[in-house]
Amino acid sequence: MFTTYTKRFLPVAAFFLLIGLATRAQNNVVQKFETGQVYAGIEVGSKGVKMSLLELDKSAGDEGEFKILKDTSINTDFISFTQSTYQATLSALDKLYQTAVSRNNIPPAHVFTAISSGVYIQANKEDKKIWIDQLINAFKLLINEPQRKVAIIRVEDEARLSHLGIVPESRRYNTFLIDIGSGNTKGGYFPYGNTKDFRLFQLTWGTKSTFNATEKMLGEDKGMENFNSQLNRVLAGAENNEIIYAVNASGAFPKSDNIAFSGGIAWAVATLVAPELNDNAVIGVTYDEVLEFTEKLVKNPSLYSDYYIVKTLPENTADAEKLGKDVKQVNKVFDQRALLAGTGLLLKIMRQFDGVVERKKFYLVKNGSVGWISAYVKMNSENKK
Amino acid sequence: MKDTKSLLLLLVSLLLVLVSFVLIWTWGYSYYSKNGNEKTNTAPPQAQSAAMANTLRDSLQKVYDATLQDLDVQLNTTLTHTDSLQNELDAKLAEFYRLRTEITAILKNRTVNNNFTVAKQKISELQTKVEGLKEKNQVVDSENRKLNAVLNEMSKAEKTGDKQVNMTSSVKNGNTYDANPVLSAFIASDLRLAAVTNTDESENTVVDKADKINGAFTVMNFNSQLTSAEMMVVVIKPDGKVLKGSGWDSGTFNTPDGKKIYSYKFSFSYSRGEAKRLAFSLKGGNFTKGNYTMEVYHNGLMIGKVVQTLS
Repeated sequence: MFTTYTKRFLPVAAFFLLIGLATRAQNNVVQKFETGQVYAGIEVGSKGVKMSLLELDKSAGDEGEFKILKDTSINTDFISFTQSTYQATLSALDKLYQTAVSRNNIPPAHVFTAISSGVYIQANKEDKKIWIDQLINAFKLLINEPQRKVAIIRVEDEARLSHLGIVPESRRYNTFLIDIGSGNTKGGYFPYGNTKDFRLFQLTWGTKSTFNATEKMLGEDKGMENFNSQLNRVLAGAENNEIIYAVNASGAFPKSDNIAFSGGIAWAVATLVAPELNDNAVIGVTYDEVLEFTEKLVKNPSLYSDYYIVKTLPENTADAEKLGKDVKQVNKVFDQRALLAGTGLLLKIMRQFDGVVERKKFYLVKNGSVGWISAYVKMNSENKK
Repeated sequence: MKDTKSLLLLLVSLLLVLVSFVLIWTWGYSYYSKNGNEKTNTAPPQAQSAAMANTLRDSLQKVYDATLQDLDVQLNTTLTHTDSLQNELDAKLAEFYRLRTEITAILKNRTVNNNFTVAKQKISELQTKVEGLKEKNQVVDSENRKLNAVLNEMSKAEKTGDKQVNMTSSVKNGNTYDANPVLSAFIASDLRLAAVTNTDESENTVVDKADKINGAFTVMNFNSQLTSAEMMVVVIKPDGKVLKGSGWDSGTFNTPDGKKIYSYKFSFSYSRGEAKRLAFSLKGGNFTKGNYTMEVYHNGLMIGKVVQTLS
């Protein structure tokens, strides 16, 4: 059926087509990184290894000097400290490093590696710090960079770096940043108008721990109504025994005009409460708005499905396709009960700052996960200059 | 023995039947005699003939029909326009329907001795009611006309305002108009929107030179109870999307038309009669050519608007 010429021409055409596509794909990456300097931050966290590709952009202004280009993670569960999770973590660390250096052409000097405070705390608690040392040494050997610095970040440094990475300079000294994690909550603020002094704030409650405590109290009745009443009981206990005291002891109320929340639950609530502002990295909310969200979530969780949110999105506000994906992702990470547990904790903390006479402005930060690593990258990139 | 008992029972039965007959006869007699008296009292004069009665009934029927037709027309208009007088109208209508039923009953009665005097009285009563309704309807009509005139005047004024804005945006930028000035405690004035360069902070209207957009306006109110207030500023880009400088500044708020995105929010303390000047700056990356609209909202209501063209 094909002539000899056609038979010869087809492989040649296919070859050029492939070359063309590859060049185009590469150009896309290069184009993205053209506007500024690109850095990579690789962090070994409790759940896995995470890499953020950041672009230094001085003109970005209030949103911060870093633009997040890519945010990837590989789940490895390093804090189990078993041989398999260790191997998985080492492999993920190497894979992400190679992605940054080989695939994205980022010079090794622009790639920063660190171990998060959560890993260090857990290792310290279980007397398994040797696992961290082994991981660092094995990684250096694997990438053949014996001089590479893999820093272990203390909890105070992590909170401080998160503040520097998330909160813009114009709001740095009047913003209290609180990161609600899965197992605990940490944050703080700069009380004296400089970045050296940082007041740390910590709670032993997080989204997952609140959820777990509630689940334990359910007994035979696993229904939603019982879950809600047990959750209220758990939260009331957390509020009376810890939250009120911790907020008062922090002395943040008179010194902070803005209370910003980061962490998974802040990202989830921000995505579901204000779909119109899906392209915002930060959204402003009120206590009443979050309260209304939880009330609706209890009664009718389908109001927060990707289908319904996209369907009711006002015209000309946000990219419906991206929003649909984001909402789907939120619902994948948090089910109705996990959302209620996290939002309940969020509300309990917000309530400490929602006074009758003076009310603080509340913000939910969506990209908080890359906060400390971006500040760490910035700090180290400046030191190298 | 048996025969004696049967005979006794038969006698008692006969006695009971007899007593029943006597009682029925007594009741029938008294009823007949009573009816007879009534008939004597209400009997019409012998001279009134059946033909005369028919003529009278026909003429009454005509008057009744005409009254009903007249009322139907009035009712339609009244029902359309009545609002606050609804309860009064309902009462009058109930009265009217009662009279109509009574008259119809009288007119339907084809007996020669029918009481047409009562029918006449009821029809005249009905006519009075209809007249009353007519008057009420006229009052409602005139009130409606007045209200329509006011509404027309208001919509004309609004249209003129819109035209003015369109004209100013095409001829000379920066002119403002107030929307819904009556509905908010605050009045916005002296609205300004300008493109600014970072280098010398100079204002211009050239899109290529713009690094950010600066806006300012003055708000004022005479409500002494307000000690603090919030103003939302919405800056709409030529593509119809809201210009957002930073996620920390922008957010959403509720309006009667639904949720809106604001570009900037002001929270400030306020004292009565103070002319408060509020200013903001929005960095929006690359600005495109076209009209930029700034809207100022208080309590979800637009209190001011300005259009600026960047060329």
